[in-house]
Amino acid sequence: MPNNVTSKSSARWFSTSATKGQQLFRRSGVGGQLISLIIVMGIFAIGTKGKYLYWANLQVILSLAAIPAIIAIGLHQVVVLGGIDLSVEGVVALCVVFVGFLAHNKFNSNDVGLWIIPITVGIGGLAGVINGLLNTKLRIPSFISTLGMSWVLWGLAVFVSKGQTTPLLDSPLRGFVNGYVLGIPDLALVAIVLFMIIQIIQDGTRFGRYLYAIGGDEVLAAQAGVKIDRTKIIVFGIAGLFYGLSALFLAVELDSAQAITGNNLLFPAVTAVAVGGVALTGGIGGAKNAALGALIVTALNDGLILLNVNPYAQEAVNGFVLVAAVALTIDRKKLGFIK
Amino acid sequence: MVAVKRDDPADAQETTTVRRKRARIPAIFFAVTLLIVLVFLFTMGNRNFISAYNLNTIASYAAILLVVGLGQMNTILIGGIDLSVGGLMSFISVVFVVSLKTIGVWAFPLCIVVALMAGFLNGNILTRIKIPSFIATLGTGGIMTSLALLVSPLPVDAPASTYGLLEIVNGTTLGISHLLLLTLVAFALFYVILKFTTVGRNIYYIGSNIKMSWMSGIDIVGTRNIAFVLSGLGAGIAAIMLSCNQYGGDPTLGKVYILQSIAAVLVGGTALTGGTGGAVNTVIGALILSVMENGMNVVGVDAYFQQSILGLVIIISVALTFDRSKTATIK
Amino acid sequence: MTAKEPVLELRRITKSYPGVVALNAVDFAVYENEIVGLVGENGAGKSTLMKILIGLIQPDEGSYTLRGEPIGFRDPASATRFGVGMVFQDGSLVPNLSIMENLFLCHEMGFRRFGFLSKRAMREAAYSVLAAVKVSSDLDIPIADTTPAVRQMVEIARLLWLSKLYKQKNPILILDEPTTVLTESERETLFSILGEIKSQASIVLISHRLQEIVENSDRIVILKDGKNVTELAAEHVSISSIENMMVGHSFEADRYREDEQVEPGKETVLRVQKLRKRGAFEAIDFSVRRREIVSLVGLVGSGKEAVCRCIAGLDKPDGGSINLGGKKLPAGSPSEAVHSGLGHIPIDRRSEGLALGMTVAENVNLLVLDRLKVAGFISPAREKKNAMRCIEECRIKSPSSSTMCANLSGGNQQKTVIAKWLSSQIQLLVLDHPTRGVDVGAKEEIYKLIRKLAHDGIGMIIMCDTLEEDIGLCSRMLILRDGRLVREINCPPYNKPGPSDIIGSIV
Repeated sequence: MPNNVTSKSSARWFSTSATKGQQLFRRSGVGGQLISLIIVMGIFAIGTKGKYLYWANLQVILSLAAIPAIIAIGLHQVVVLGGIDLSVEGVVALCVVFVGFLAHNKFNSNDVGLWIIPITVGIGGLAGVINGLLNTKLRIPSFISTLGMSWVLWGLAVFVSKGQTTPLLDSPLRGFVNGYVLGIPDLALVAIVLFMIIQIIQDGTRFGRYLYAIGGDEVLAAQAGVKIDRTKIIVFGIAGLFYGLSALFLAVELDSAQAITGNNLLFPAVTAVAVGGVALTGGIGGAKNAALGALIVTALNDGLILLNVNPYAQEAVNGFVLVAAVALTIDRKKLGFIK
Repeated sequence: MVAVKRDDPADAQETTTVRRKRARIPAIFFAVTLLIVLVFLFTMGNRNFISAYNLNTIASYAAILLVVGLGQMNTILIGGIDLSVGGLMSFISVVFVVSLKTIGVWAFPLCIVVALMAGFLNGNILTRIKIPSFIATLGTGGIMTSLALLVSPLPVDAPASTYGLLEIVNGTTLGISHLLLLTLVAFALFYVILKFTTVGRNIYYIGSNIKMSWMSGIDIVGTRNIAFVLSGLGAGIAAIMLSCNQYGGDPTLGKVYILQSIAAVLVGGTALTGGTGGAVNTVIGALILSVMENGMNVVGVDAYFQQSILGLVIIISVALTFDRSKTATIK
Repeated sequence: MTAKEPVLELRRITKSYPGVVALNAVDFAVYENEIVGLVGENGAGKSTLMKILIGLIQPDEGSYTLRGEPIGFRDPASATRFGVGMVFQDGSLVPNLSIMENLFLCHEMGFRRFGFLSKRAMREAAYSVLAAVKVSSDLDIPIADTTPAVRQMVEIARLLWLSKLYKQKNPILILDEPTTVLTESERETLFSILGEIKSQASIVLISHRLQEIVENSDRIVILKDGKNVTELAAEHVSISSIENMMVGHSFEADRYREDEQVEPGKETVLRVQKLRKRGAFEAIDFSVRRREIVSLVGLVGSGKEAVCRCIAGLDKPDGGSINLGGKKLPAGSPSEAVHSGLGHIPIDRRSEGLALGMTVAENVNLLVLDRLKVAGFISPAREKKNAMRCIEECRIKSPSSSTMCANLSGGNQQKTVIAKWLSSQIQLLVLDHPTRGVDVGAKEEIYKLIRKLAHDGIGMIIMCDTLEEDIGLCSRMLILRDGRLVREINCPPYNKPGPSDIIGSIV
């Protein structure tokens, strides 16, 4: 008996009646996003009479998109679980401040050289694990636990740095952070490598299955034997690692470390994740969505600048794009009632 | 123990018997206790904490936060969230000051109307485009921030000629500042709506069980629109109050209030998922945040540490007041 | 029937809840390589028994032996490891994962190569596992996009595979109403597959479709009121005899308060004409008068639930009209239905009937807030008064009107739902299994309420858990089968038809 692929009956919360086209679209995971990217770039290419597509500009886009992409890749997995991670700014602030303290800087004689990489990333990861513990062991909803953590860490960062800006000296990473390989910014390459690593983990490991199982239906996943708490803590931890890495790059890029370095990173990251097609309800979307989302948002904003659009209109355009992107890609059947 | 997915009505018997044995302390008691403890601690640290002057300072700070929080509360109660309050506050702030110069006292009602319209827009986008409020308001918030910057990229001072009008907020009558009176009026308004009107009650029903509300004939779309209109109203009034206080408008003044307003609502014991909580909870929440903000200064906590302690307090408060029995999973 | 030892045996299983004995010294055995049909009305104890079998709940008394060894399962996951698994009606597959991923979820160890999962190895294994259940779908589609038939097969395949993984001989698969969501041809395929699986496993089949049970089981076990009735070989047994054994209680006229059954009025409150919905029901025509209790009876798949959903506005029919009190009701709008005077007691009071986090007063007053206002504002005094009146009238056992509904027992919660509708001005009330999951005492009080509703002039459509309940309560019974109205029977007090009169038309 041939079992047809499309379904026709309705059994409660299973989404149904997906056409063949919709399925293929959905299966690639990024079909819509790639089309959006092409459209966006096309519009700007025409609008700037081609200048938008000059290699120099594309390089700018790639280098500007790198750090938001890294943050989005870290953040999106928490969203796939069904939660949210608002702690980006606090974690970055704390990590940046530690970079200012431990790397070769103007205010003290510390110089840990390349050790700064594992240290910063480690602090970020630790913060992430704490987020995970708050969510799983203390059973605090992620919205509040990560928001609170952000404030706690941000305050800690300001406290440790006494609100000062610490100039960094001769970071061994400086060349790397500002450099290019075959015309592509190093940071963009890092983002690409990280995206590939996470995507492979999501596609090909048991951890990846558990991540999506929890996002799809946590209760059923638990029944099937998925270790919920452990998976969640790892996901938060990975997010923290990524935030830590971005903090390091940011500090080196700016050649200085201050607590407010992390400010204004959260909303663009959440926008990137949503525009990229990661569902807020969980279970849908992967690293490729997060990275593409960051790229789309950066490409959009770069184009606006090139077109001399009033810089103050930037947020509005981002807002429109966000609403449009989600409106087009959201799976309404799964949501049931919109909240 | 594995949570059981099968919601077989026949199971209802077993679980409710078990549930009956647990007595639930309303969230408000935890919140009030926390507030009292904080006030006590700060007073111990510095007698001046409870001086009339200081209490007045706290009240002024709390007033603004409370008003925008009361608006936000409606959207959270119905099960959504309003991330656009910051952008709206910024926008209203500059529009208010700019229009004071041209239309004088009519700036007040104009801004209220604009705020209501913004809320209506939010509600409609949600319903017609059918996207979650988190995303919709994140988007509209960005649009309003842009509009604020376009109206006035830099902070704009209210001209001295308008100071008289600003007395509507800044003045005092019979020794009580207008700011506090207005806050009281706003509180009364939101309290009455929630407790004594059908719309307010429907907000609770929908937040508590949207499916049941739909099946019982409640107008989900209309109620939701009103919840967002109320949120806009709260943000608008708060923005006007703040602009009067500061004698000027600022296109960035709203940003901090996005998360602060949500925190004020949640810390007081209203659940993020909606259905429980209310105006009084928001008052306690706003007071806790304001007491923290002020108290740490008065007591001499390192300015830099304050944000951390604030973060801890909101985590603790929600940890205590969140009702875990309602949901099978914590997200 | 061989005299071999059973693979699985439950002896003298007893399980009680406050106010009701769900299982009373029940015996149940499963032998090797057989299909056992388990039948009984709702409330007979089938699902409780099966839940004990898979470890979801623990019995108060009794023994559980598996392959000769006494055993006790803490949870379904451990039961699965011993080769005892159940396929629930709703399914336990994670919707956004693919067929292959769901098949091996949490047991992918064998496919690991250097930390990563070998998709090739998984696919090979999946193909062979799914071949046994004749699923040839694309393995990568998310479960949410597959048909219920495919989902069921995947679950069966998973259970079989897990038993092999844990080296359990002759696993026991419990299928709970597997054919409810299947088409005719899918059903045939299912049973042919079960026939093949029989050689390596045993199957417990729970179904209301007695035809299927008789055709496909080797042995049939009948439960009634939490006790064993009998056990018979499936050959040469007639469906009506099974039904009679399932249903025949000593008929107590008092139980359903027949003496309070009122004569239906003349006025028609509901008129349903030519109602149809593709795939569910067709050509439904009937009317309900004031004070009349019309019972819709039929097996699963008869379409009665779908009809009620359309009447209540929860679903849109494909054609036909519904008139309430002379006015045509627009389709698919519960709020229009409610405002026109139609009430609905849903089958699931917790998720559809009440706001559990709110008080009794708030729940019962939901529909009548406008009436409780003074000068345009809700009056707490009037609210309390109405709530107390409801509590008294409906005998809701609650410490106060401000008790949270979540803290009430099932029966009192149900009474709260009824009270909510009682307060408002309804002409017609649809009751969907009003006494499900409710203890005996509350059941009686609900029957009393139903009589009162009729007395007050309200027309009712009711669907009950047991045929006997339907007969006892209604003034008229409409029998549906395969989506059509096949028969109408009057049920006047003191002259009620017996179940055996009706069964013939149902099956």
